[in-house]
Parts: sequence; structure tokens; C-alpha cells
Amino acid sequence: MVEIEKQGTPTVLIVSGRFENDAKASARAFAMPGIRYVVVPWIFRNLDRQRTLQQTEAAFDTLTRELTGDLQTTAQNVQLPPTRVERFEGGDYLDALQVMNREFLNRDWGDGFPMMPATASQVARMLAGTNLPPDHVVCDLPPGYGLATVEKIAINSVMAGAEPEHLPVIIGGLKALSNMDPEWVKSLLISTSSHASMLLVNGPIAKELEINSQAACMGPGRQNRANLAIGRAYTLCLKNIGHWYPGQLDMDVLGTVRKFTVCVAENEDASPWEPYHVEHGFNPNDSVVTVFSTSGEIDVADQGNNTAEGLLKTIGYNCIFSQWDLVRQGRDEKGSAWDTIVLVTPDIARHVKEAGFSKQDAKEYLHNLAEYSLGRMVHYYPLENKVLPEEWRWLQNLSEEELHDTWLPVRENADHYVLLCLGADRAKPIVIPSRPACPQSVCIDPYRPT
Amino acid sequence: MEILSVLNPVAQQRGVINARNINPRPASLDGLKVGLLWSGTAMGDVALRRVEEMLRDREPSVQTNFYRGGLPAPEEVLEKVSAESDIVIGATAD
Repeated sequence: MVEIEKQGTPTVLIVSGRFENDAKASARAFAMPGIRYVVVPWIFRNLDRQRTLQQTEAAFDTLTRELTGDLQTTAQNVQLPPTRVERFEGGDYLDALQVMNREFLNRDWGDGFPMMPATASQVARMLAGTNLPPDHVVCDLPPGYGLATVEKIAINSVMAGAEPEHLPVIIGGLKALSNMDPEWVKSLLISTSSHASMLLVNGPIAKELEINSQAACMGPGRQNRANLAIGRAYTLCLKNIGHWYPGQLDMDVLGTVRKFTVCVAENEDASPWEPYHVEHGFNPNDSVVTVFSTSGEIDVADQGNNTAEGLLKTIGYNCIFSQWDLVRQGRDEKGSAWDTIVLVTPDIARHVKEAGFSKQDAKEYLHNLAEYSLGRMVHYYPLENKVLPEEWRWLQNLSEEELHDTWLPVRENADHYVLLCLGADRAKPIVIPSRPACPQSVCIDPYRPT
Repeated sequence: MEILSVLNPVAQQRGVINARNINPRPASLDGLKVGLLWSGTAMGDVALRRVEEMLRDREPSVQTNFYRGGLPAPEEVLEKVSAESDIVIGATAD
């Protein structure tokens, strides 16, 4: 609706349920803070027809008042620029720090855990981790499109407990996120689904910073000091620079712990394949960070297969998800927006490589294995619904039994499988549904001190 | 008494810096072309169709056009809706 207003036509939006704050925040983010709307109590999408009509009729008089007349049209809902310095008093330094943490958490400026104080001296120390000047704008950071200056990134990185040498990775991660297609980045960050970012680091910087790629690289603990600090800094930047606050531009129904962003390195030493960044056109000596979208995590355990085919079957049979990309698959040049990321343990990767599979061969093998009942995969999206894309309307002519007896690959093609070698030996890979599929990679080296 | 001074982590938003006014509303519904833009999500169409009926009942001179947009609506659809309408009503279904 903002785009239509920008083209000169007045608009009014019917906002349902708990989306009023999101409507306000979105209007601010897209530079039309005075956008007019009416609120109805229930979310339409899963509502029955009678309630849909009732709440629409109840809102009609308000709607017509918003359509016509002498309304305030100057920009409303505009926030004041943030202060530069915040001051907190306490009986001693620790007391003042606790006051700061309470107040910051009240303002939703944190992730729920205590934060380090971003004093001027600590921020100056952090800024030494990059050759970029403090006022350099790295990007307009989605979803709220805050100006991601190097200084603001450094402030949030200090609060997260990161070290100066982590800063280029954090900057690169945010830059990569901002490079995503706007449709996908909205889905990743704003959607009611529990989508989250995952950061993958490749190249020499991973070892230099001791970003763990081996045992227990995705969990808590001292082995993941860098992983956790970088992921946390990325999250705090998303909140305070990207204005990604729950209930406003983060509309998750349930949320997920994966939003305490996971950061890992690929286990390049143990991998028999080319690393992810080389597969995507970077040089082996480039240090690269990639942002993936994740929408779940499936723990897979193989308890005794010792052939490439056997191990790949275990993975492939666990790549069966209950939903299918009915909306996007085949719709336009963008194709399907759903990937499957497989975190392949080194022992599996070695078996597969030694049996003569290239990485692409392994993807093709998994794609051919991962088929499922179409009826089960499309159940979530009622076929009688008029929003079914035209190319899939033939499905509406099938009986429920025919739909259930039709088996199709769960992904559009083999290129929708991402294989990353991670972790320690023992064939227990993790399969991650990625929806929306929108990986973006950025070379970190230009952000490092010269 | 100790005072802890820290730098503010919150960034200014580009949309706030570049904020634009909304367009003036028409004085009345009389003779207006009203666009109803459906995002494609379930039941949003039912709500907008009901608004369409009620608008016509209240002001018979109103002309209405129903459009299917999408999430997000393609640019060409937005341009068409804007060009063909005096005012546009949309609905978010979730």
C-alpha cells in the first residue's frame, strides 16, 4: 500500500489481529509513517467465513471515515533520532551496569541476557578491528532499514561481548543480509514463521579467529567463543540497527532459539570437497561469510551403514518435509525459494568422495531419493483456495487419493541442496530446511585492517 | 555514586529520514473509482468483497475494481491499480 501511496493514490489498509504495531513499524521503515489503516480483531487467514464477514462489517464505518475527508496527511508516527550517549547511575560501577542492563532490556535493545557496556573507549577499541571509518554506512539494514554505520555495528558488537577481530565478520554478515532479494529478506525476518539466519564462515579467517568447525560447533561452550560472540553481535545489530523487534517487524508466532544466530565455520581441512565459498566463485584464500535462512533442524543418526549409498540414503530419507513450495515452484525466473541444507559430517563426506561422488553427484543422489506424497506435501495449502498459482491448478482435478498416490521430489532440482562439511566424525548429520532459500556471501577481506 | 556512560546502539531509519506525507483524501465517495487490492492470502478476498458490497450499497455512484496482488504485489499490478483508482483499499490477512 505504501508503494501505491507513493504513486499518488490514497490508500486505506485493513490490518488484522496483532499486526497494528507491525503496520506502524513497516510504514516507518518504508518512509510513509502516516499511512491510514483500520484494525479488525482476528487474523483473516484461518478464520471462518462468518467471522470474517462480521469483523469486516463492524469496521466498515471506520474504514469509510479513513477513505474520505480532511484527515491529517503530514507524516505521523515519526521517531526522534536516537540519543548519542545514555547515562546510568548506580551506587558503584556494577550497580550502574545492572541499571543499564535492566533499562536496555526494558527497551528491547538486547537478547535477554546481560550485555557489556559500550563505553566510548570500548567502542574505540572495537573500531580498530576494521579499516572502515566509523561513519561509513555499510548498508541500510533490513527489516527496518536502519543506517548500519560502522560505529553502530561496533557498539552492538561490544554489547555482545565480541572482540575487535570479529568485527569484519559481523560487518560482512550484515552486508550479505542486506544484499538479499527484498522479498526473501522480508520472509526471513518479518514472517510469522520461525525463520532465522545462520552464518557460515569460510577461508583463512575462520582459523585465525578460532571459529569452530569441528565437534559441537553449533552449541554452547568455550570451544565456540568466537562463534557465539559473532552470532550474538549479528543478532543485536539486527535488533538495534535493523529495528527487528518482536511484534514490530519480527512477527513470529512461536519464535526459535535459532534467532540467537548460529555462526559456524566449514570444516575445510576434513572436507574432501571444495569449500562452499569456492563452489560459489570465491578463491580458496578469500575469507567469506555467507548468510543462510533456516526454518528448522532435523537430527539424523546413521547407526551402521558404511557405504556411500547407504549413508546418502539415510540423509535422503530424512530430507522429506511435509510441505511443498506450491506458491513459488515454477512460478517465475526466481524458481523455488526452498532449499535443503545438509551439514555432512567428515566421515560421511569421505565415504561419499571415495566412492567417486562429486559434491554435485551427491546432490543429485539426494534429490532422487527425497520424494514424498504430493497429497501430504500440499495439504497445508488448501487446493480449493483461489490463490493456487495457475500452473498448479491441474492439482485441483485430482481426488484426495490420487494426490496422496502421486509422489514428487520435495525440491525443485538438485541445485536446491546445499552440502556443507561440518562437525566431527560419526555419521550424525543435521538436515536443515531453508525457507526462504536466499544464501548471500560477502568477502570479508576488504573490511579487515590493512 | 557512579555514572556509566554508554553509546546508544539504536540506528536512525532511512524511512524516518526520508518520511513522506500521505496523499489528501477525496471529500466524499461520490463517483469515486475504488480499487480493492487482495494480497492473495486466504479470506482476505472475502473481507474485501464484503467491503465492495457495502460501499456500493452506501454510495451507488462508486465504481469498484477488484485486483489480485500477491505477497508482494508485482510492480505492474501496483501501477495498474494506482492508475485505475481514486482510492485503494487493501487487507493484510496475516
